[in-house]
Amino acid sequence: MTAAAVISMSVSFELNGVPVTIECGPGEVLRTILRRLGCFSVKFGSDSGETGAGAVLLDGQLVSSDVILAAAAGGHRVETLEGFSEKREVLDPIQAAFVAVGAFQSGYSAGAMILATKALLDRDPNPSEDSIRDALSGVLDRETAYVKVVEAVQRAAALRRGERLPPFGPLILPPLTDGVNAVAYEPAPTAPGVSAAVPRLIPSRDVPEMAVVGKPEIKVDALKVARGNPAFVDDIELRGMLYAKVLRSPHAHARITDIDDSLAVALPGVQAVKHYKNTPRVMYASGGQSWPNPYPYDQVSFDNKVRHVGDRVAAVAAETPEIAAEACRLIKVTYEVLPFILDEREAMLDGAPVIHDEPDAVEIHDASRNLVHHIHAQTVAEPELQAAFAGADQVFEQHFRVHQVQQCPIEPHIAIAWLDEDERLVIRTSTQVPFHARRMVAPLLGLTVKDIRVIKPRIGGGFGAKQEMLIEDIVGHLALATKRPVRLELDRSEEFMASRTRHPQTITYKTGVMNDGTLVAQEFRVIGNTGPYGTHGFTVQNVTGLRGLSSYNCPAKKFDCKVVYTNIPVPGAYRGYGAPQAEFALEAHMEDIARSLGRDVIDFKRQNWVKVGSKLDIVMFLGERGTIEPDQVDPATFPPIMTSGIEECVAQGMRAIGWHRRDDQAWVAPADRPHIRRGLGFAFCMHGTAIPFLDMGGCSIKMNDDGSFNVTAGAADLGTGADTVLAQIAAEVLGVPIEDIIMYTGDTDMTPFDVGAYASSTTYISGMATKKAADVVRWKIKQRAARILGVEQPCSIELHDRRAWAPDGTSISLEDIGLNSLHTEDHEQIMGSGSYVSSDCPPPFAAQFVEIEIDVETGQITVVKMVMAVDCGVAINPITASGQIEGGMFQALGYAHTEEFAFDEHGRMVNDSFGPYWIYRSDDAPATEVFLVQTMEDSGPFGAKAVAEIPKDGVAPAIRNAILQCTGVAINELPFTPERVYSALHATAKW
Amino acid sequence: MANVVAYHRPDSVDAALDLLARVDVNSKVLAGGTQLIGRNVDHDPFEVVDLQNAGLARVDLGESRAVIGATVTLAEMSAAAGLPDVLRDAARRELPSTLRTLATLGGVLVGGEAESEFLATLLAHDPIVEIHGPEGRRELPLPQLWIEPFHLDGRLITGVSIATDGTSRADRTARTPADRPIVAVVGRRGVDGRLRLACSGVAAHPVLVDDPMTLRPPADFRGSSEYRRQLAITLSRRVAEALS
Repeated sequence: MTAAAVISMSVSFELNGVPVTIECGPGEVLRTILRRLGCFSVKFGSDSGETGAGAVLLDGQLVSSDVILAAAAGGHRVETLEGFSEKREVLDPIQAAFVAVGAFQSGYSAGAMILATKALLDRDPNPSEDSIRDALSGVLDRETAYVKVVEAVQRAAALRRGERLPPFGPLILPPLTDGVNAVAYEPAPTAPGVSAAVPRLIPSRDVPEMAVVGKPEIKVDALKVARGNPAFVDDIELRGMLYAKVLRSPHAHARITDIDDSLAVALPGVQAVKHYKNTPRVMYASGGQSWPNPYPYDQVSFDNKVRHVGDRVAAVAAETPEIAAEACRLIKVTYEVLPFILDEREAMLDGAPVIHDEPDAVEIHDASRNLVHHIHAQTVAEPELQAAFAGADQVFEQHFRVHQVQQCPIEPHIAIAWLDEDERLVIRTSTQVPFHARRMVAPLLGLTVKDIRVIKPRIGGGFGAKQEMLIEDIVGHLALATKRPVRLELDRSEEFMASRTRHPQTITYKTGVMNDGTLVAQEFRVIGNTGPYGTHGFTVQNVTGLRGLSSYNCPAKKFDCKVVYTNIPVPGAYRGYGAPQAEFALEAHMEDIARSLGRDVIDFKRQNWVKVGSKLDIVMFLGERGTIEPDQVDPATFPPIMTSGIEECVAQGMRAIGWHRRDDQAWVAPADRPHIRRGLGFAFCMHGTAIPFLDMGGCSIKMNDDGSFNVTAGAADLGTGADTVLAQIAAEVLGVPIEDIIMYTGDTDMTPFDVGAYASSTTYISGMATKKAADVVRWKIKQRAARILGVEQPCSIELHDRRAWAPDGTSISLEDIGLNSLHTEDHEQIMGSGSYVSSDCPPPFAAQFVEIEIDVETGQITVVKMVMAVDCGVAINPITASGQIEGGMFQALGYAHTEEFAFDEHGRMVNDSFGPYWIYRSDDAPATEVFLVQTMEDSGPFGAKAVAEIPKDGVAPAIRNAILQCTGVAINELPFTPERVYSALHATAKW
Repeated sequence: MANVVAYHRPDSVDAALDLLARVDVNSKVLAGGTQLIGRNVDHDPFEVVDLQNAGLARVDLGESRAVIGATVTLAEMSAAAGLPDVLRDAARRELPSTLRTLATLGGVLVGGEAESEFLATLLAHDPIVEIHGPEGRRELPLPQLWIEPFHLDGRLITGVSIATDGTSRADRTARTPADRPIVAVVGRRGVDGRLRLACSGVAAHPVLVDDPMTLRPPADFRGSSEYRRQLAITLSRRVAEALS
């Protein structure tokens, strides 16, 4: 076949067994064609194909459809996930296996994973784990750590071989402690022969048996994900939709002296061009936080100054993505290039360039010194603190540096905006904060909140990057200007350079210690790098202070933090939210103090870590609403720790990692591998659960005439399983199985308010709101049932097994109650709502262990195993909870080991793609084991505490401490890349 | 999106060469697409000459050498019995599962990436590149292809002949086991006892190394020049010891 040069061409291939012919451009890639044909399971992750989200089968082989010309697929056989769904009532064994083990979180790459499995099992019905991991190596998953994905493939293989499998659920283990006190460590296997994907659950006697809560229920959204149903932002088709593209700054710091859009505007197909000359200047802060948003307000939609490479310059809406890109190239921008700074330690030096010199920025602490905030808190007055240091037997002071990394959701930021039939602006967006986004975008567009509806459909991962009003204003401006739907999706480079990242920090810890190991004074100084905009700069650094000074008892504490502007890509919220930085430094610092004192590290930390009854003093002095002075707080009001399972966590973790091996020199330095050293490391972890008096969630529940319930909540499920957890809570209260709960979340027109998915708040806050709403509905059902059953006291009615039961054993089905209420007597829609804001912030605790190998000749570290035992109260769903922990640890591993932003001499990121920016893959992943240690946290729904963020905290310090243990070398800067480790080792005479 | 204005799928090498020989037409060879399509940064329009039907997807095994066709994919090489194990492993390592099924030998050769362990592995196996052009077939040592890329003007790589005898070993340093090595060293001791060491990550392209002490590698964020040199020294010693 030799085609002539044409603008469009006809391509024929077989799609899921059906011949298709389609017109396309010769440069169109297969992914876009397949989506045009309705195969929405084929996702965009990057144009270069390395995310694998767009993987399909081509003649039975797994390929990234991002890099295949549609024309090249002509004559071939193409399969997508849609081909699995011919018989909707029957799941393929592969789909069934993935659903059964909870292998999907967001499911953004579900199609690719299932197809990878099919390709593998078609050629190897009984694959090894290595083969499975290799087969999945091209499908990047930022959510699961592949633990349950590998399990799913193994189960799928077994199902296809005709084997019968037991249901997937947690392994119940007996406790090793009494729940309070430490026990002597005895080496023993914890769960021999049990798959790593199975969470080890250590029950608490304080937790009652429940019907739905605590059970490994199938996720409520599993089926639609497994079938590849169109559920994500981009999975809709709107007539006349325009494509937006943003022109971005090539300079780290420059003033725009002129912009000429005439050529772009004249380009056929261009419908709108927006920039500083034609867009109202409204100052705002982009962080998705409660009203009033924390200062400073230092951004506008389009400015006449750019402050980092990738900053916004202009935006175009055009008929095609190609025309939009060409229009961006035609915009002439005249820059006055300015000096820039990347390092937070240089931001306040004399002569440093002033990044915000505009007169209308609001509440920058000292713009002339690039000082955004100066956060200061201490639990005692300064003389008392200094006296405590003076009285200490020893004082230790250490410095640490933590770096910039990105959240890397496989689904990039994407938003589509249009005007509905009432001419209200609808924004369908991949956001964690739909309600905040609506409120924050309104003034930028000259609209009121009621003029806007924000819809959060299914989200392909967020991890904090989408706790931001990031691109909603751009599509809003363009949709209002054109009166047509406008779609904007960031490419992978933009996601790195123009999205949000984790704050780099320079950290100093100073601690006064008595010779018996008691801490007497602790000072924690931080320079936080918020990049060119304040956004989450204040609150993240607040959490750094909270987490850095909460874990250990100490009578005198001080936090001093300067948050500064630089010209790096903008930091913002990232899962953990300031805690990973603090806990890396804290756990390293405590490790070194223990070693200096000649103490066992766990014993020393145990002596000082907070326990039940310990008062969380620093909490009272720091917070999103600002800081207060010691004399303004009554110590009696310090909140106490009410539950802690840390001793059980430590006992289980030590046993699982084989802690005794660290003292075995033959193991540490294997004779047959002279350049290898092996190490074990530990970190104590403590996090928070929601933000007291601030995080608020709402829920509404209505009963249907078949006895099912619609639950609507403002919460945003990012793939975390939040919808499932809320459904389990509602089902538990209402006495029905989870399949009778229909969830709908995250739509500002249709659901109650919720702050959104952040701060480890969804289970705790939205879960309590759901429970309260369900309690209201339950009471109404009981009242009606009592009336129907002739029972005097409605409170004596019980709900379970889809029926309302009277004390005498008579009962009525919920379906009959629904029919009765809606159709027959005393007509009423049985419904209820609940909202919740907490006064508590019960901390989850965890013990993090790692095993590593170091090549002392090259500096290469191989992480062999990670074990995390977590006290998250009652895990509402142990499968989703363990999945959160596995995935969180996996992200934390990248933070510790491989991920970093690297810049050239112009301040441009040089590794803005996967590969150079390395996130762990399936064939990299170390062994992972998760323990869920139950405690009964009375303030949480059915005893739950948070679980989502604590796995981000301990991996980096545990690796650092493992390196120290087996080499004697302390490395106080992240990440532990080979050259950094090599340099540290070879800076000492020993190596 | 690559600015492709026409797509051609010739049925033979000669037909492909005819397409490439057209005057005033910007033609580019599509080998697998991972680079031409996936990493395209060129906004100029071009026509694509797709080699998938050109008959270059064979692996021919001889007694001591093998000829690998230019459109043989990395996945096919990793599964090809008869090729040296170290080469099969390097082919598997080169790209993840979704891309190695597309990327071809010819495409990887033309890319010539400095940190390609696969290319270093080829170098260690005495590679001879087969090129077809209007003047017919010719052979070229692999390094010359990178030093003098004009050899490909209007021509096609049709295959590579490599030695399959002897014993080979590889060692590498990377951030993680699956990451592209910062430096990799691949050694092959031929049946004549001669040791041949090839190294990636120490020059603009993978190179054969006699004395790693003399290397002056380019630096990037993953490794300074001196660190890369030290890795080359250490890994070369290990590989040589393993083959001694």
